[in-house]
Amino acid sequence: MGRFIYRRLIHGLIVILGVTVIVFVVTRMVGDPVQVMLPLESTPEQRAAFEKKLGLDRPIPIQFVEFMGNMARLDFGDSLWQKRPAMEIVFEKLPMTILLTAVGIGFACVLAIPLGIIAALRPGGVVDRVTVFGSLLGLSVPQFWLGLLFIVVFAVQFKILPTSGAGTPSHILLPALTMGLPTLARLVMLVRSSMIDELNRQYVKTSFAKGLPFVRVVGLHALRNAGLPIMTLVGWEVIRSLAGYSVVVETVFAWPGIGLTAIQAIEREDLILIQAIVFTAAVCVVVINIAMDFIYKLIDPRLKLT
Amino acid sequence: MKKRGCLFLAAVWMGIFLTGPGWAQTRQITIALGSEPTTLDPQIREDGGERAVNDNIYDTVLTRTPEGDLIPSLAAQMPELVAPDTWEVTLRPGITFHNGEPMTADAVVYSIQRVIDPDFNSEQISFFSTIKAARATGDLTLHVITDGPDPILPSRLYWLKVVPPVHSKDPGFAENPVGTGPYRFVTWQRGQHIDLVRNDDYWGDAPQIMAVRYRFIEEPGTRLAGLMAGEFDLITNLLPEFTSHVPKSVNVLGLEHPIVILNADSGITKDPQVRQALNLAVNKMALANGLFEGYAQVAQGQLLSPSFFGYNDQVTAYPYDPDRAKKLIEAAGVKGQTIELIGTSGRWLKDRDLVEAVAGYWEQAGLKVNVRIFEFNEYLNRLFDRKTRADAIFVVSSNELLDADKSFSAYYKSGGVGASNTDATLASLIDAARSETDEQKRENLYHQAVKRAYDQAYFVWLLNIEDIYGLSQRLDWPGRVDARLLVQEMTCQ
Repeated sequence: MGRFIYRRLIHGLIVILGVTVIVFVVTRMVGDPVQVMLPLESTPEQRAAFEKKLGLDRPIPIQFVEFMGNMARLDFGDSLWQKRPAMEIVFEKLPMTILLTAVGIGFACVLAIPLGIIAALRPGGVVDRVTVFGSLLGLSVPQFWLGLLFIVVFAVQFKILPTSGAGTPSHILLPALTMGLPTLARLVMLVRSSMIDELNRQYVKTSFAKGLPFVRVVGLHALRNAGLPIMTLVGWEVIRSLAGYSVVVETVFAWPGIGLTAIQAIEREDLILIQAIVFTAAVCVVVINIAMDFIYKLIDPRLKLT
Repeated sequence: MKKRGCLFLAAVWMGIFLTGPGWAQTRQITIALGSEPTTLDPQIREDGGERAVNDNIYDTVLTRTPEGDLIPSLAAQMPELVAPDTWEVTLRPGITFHNGEPMTADAVVYSIQRVIDPDFNSEQISFFSTIKAARATGDLTLHVITDGPDPILPSRLYWLKVVPPVHSKDPGFAENPVGTGPYRFVTWQRGQHIDLVRNDDYWGDAPQIMAVRYRFIEEPGTRLAGLMAGEFDLITNLLPEFTSHVPKSVNVLGLEHPIVILNADSGITKDPQVRQALNLAVNKMALANGLFEGYAQVAQGQLLSPSFFGYNDQVTAYPYDPDRAKKLIEAAGVKGQTIELIGTSGRWLKDRDLVEAVAGYWEQAGLKVNVRIFEFNEYLNRLFDRKTRADAIFVVSSNELLDADKSFSAYYKSGGVGASNTDATLASLIDAARSETDEQKRENLYHQAVKRAYDQAYFVWLLNIEDIYGLSQRLDWPGRVDARLLVQEMTCQ
């Protein structure tokens, strides 16, 4: 196990390093933040002074060495747009995205597992057909449209939930629902198909023949064996959300998370904040991947960790 | 003491906000802005979100009426020119900052020195670039010294927010602003809201609204939904097509002018006949009514609105005359030739639509138009490129000082960042106006500059866009030509 942790950490570090190098190169190749940050009517002298202030007048290799040194101390410098440390902004926004992701995907999991199991028990039955239709519908509806629809219905028409923002439990309901519904749809389909596979296996039939209780056979044995692909999908949904997929929901609901901040940083060509956000997203992806490996092992101790 | 004061204000705010259904009687409003301020230090950034909030916390030396006329604010009277390069400012007595610091000549001198200090690195430096120094000559009088005659100084002082000399040195100043304005800062929950309460010790007329909360909603559709749901009382940048959906809307002629810069030095646009044809070919009224649903006005052949200093009311827009445009194109021998038109998308309201519509009109006049829409950074490269100037570049100019100098120096004067002409006469008129302290003479110089640029058709002047705000049923506000959101001018039921 120690060897496994060591190897995964080394792999993770290589991934993070690779991502930051790519981001460094790309942010310096695409666009010039000086042009975007200053007013159109600024003089060439004002632009040159600003470029010097940002250190962008120095050779790229020197900028890179300094960048890597600072990155090791988690110091990406001050955001060009907000004029305060980029990592401070990230640490302020990331918990909001984690909260939104946890509620959204948590809601999806709570509903998807029982729905998928019920659908799998009678494939082709009414419940199964309704579940499959609902899932396809959930997958087909664009998230931004869904968000706006919820706002129009629940906030504008019925005035029972706020349109946007954060701060109270009622603020999170609509964005979490919007974020969770596509996940719910994907998860239901996966739980259903995995459970159909498991329920047709010999060990399930034998268990029933031996008179084991229904709940124990389905809920413990079959679901546990179907658990790996389900966990993989849940992990993937969490990774997607933290790595930027939450941006649509955060924009529509003005949810002050990392996705919305990423979009704002890109719009303002704030290369320092972009670097900090991408670095954090890469760290999140690596950490969640390692955590997923541990969860696999918990679900199925027969798995060998290499 | 300061901490206790803050706690008291926070308690007042909480009390007001938590009173539930009775809050309408307490006259509080919520304003939804398109972007969150990046700082509440009023001298660092050049940022719309910051201005919207700080305009209510801070006063400036001079201010403007809603119609745009300059009037004294912290100054007791309009500044006087006491030497060619020296303006004397006399301040009102008895004004204090929210934390009790006195607002004296020293505070104004400090504010000027702070914003022009190169080490301070203010993004607002272009507004104050001519100021060399300031010195107090009494408790309430000071001299502002410029690097030559600067008739625009009063307009610059309209931009100067006065900060408290002691508190502004506090490292937390940018998050705990203190001004002399009609509203005091209460709290800033980053990403969520900023709260202000009325300053009951305000030196001017007492505002009617007790408290204001700012929310930050980038998505226009969500801002609109919030207004319709009753969460907001005022939303900014309402899209023209949504005006019929909101309880009330206010539209005011704004500061933005979309234009097309024509290359007067090379290419097919070198010929003045072609440039005039490009003006005559465009139906600007149709653009105002079609694209902007009537919430824009045809620009009167100049990069100025009627409220700007230098506006020449003798010059009017080129009429829409497609037949004459075709004849001029034929006479110039360029029929069927290609003109390159550069633009960007998503930076300004309906920018791409405007570029494509202009291209359509030019094609009807007999030219082939190569429309090139670039990502904003690449677009800026083209705009700033002095060597390979494009035939035509679409741009939206905004002039917050409401004085011709800023727009003309950048776009009309040869060598300006957006200029595509080498007209020495036009440049000398603008230079002369820049140092002419006789207001009448200066205005005449701008009138001549406007006329010359119009006759030479250096641009296709398209529109003057209106600012549109969505208002709740209970809020009343007439709007302002300078786009400031001054809560003290609002009333609510």
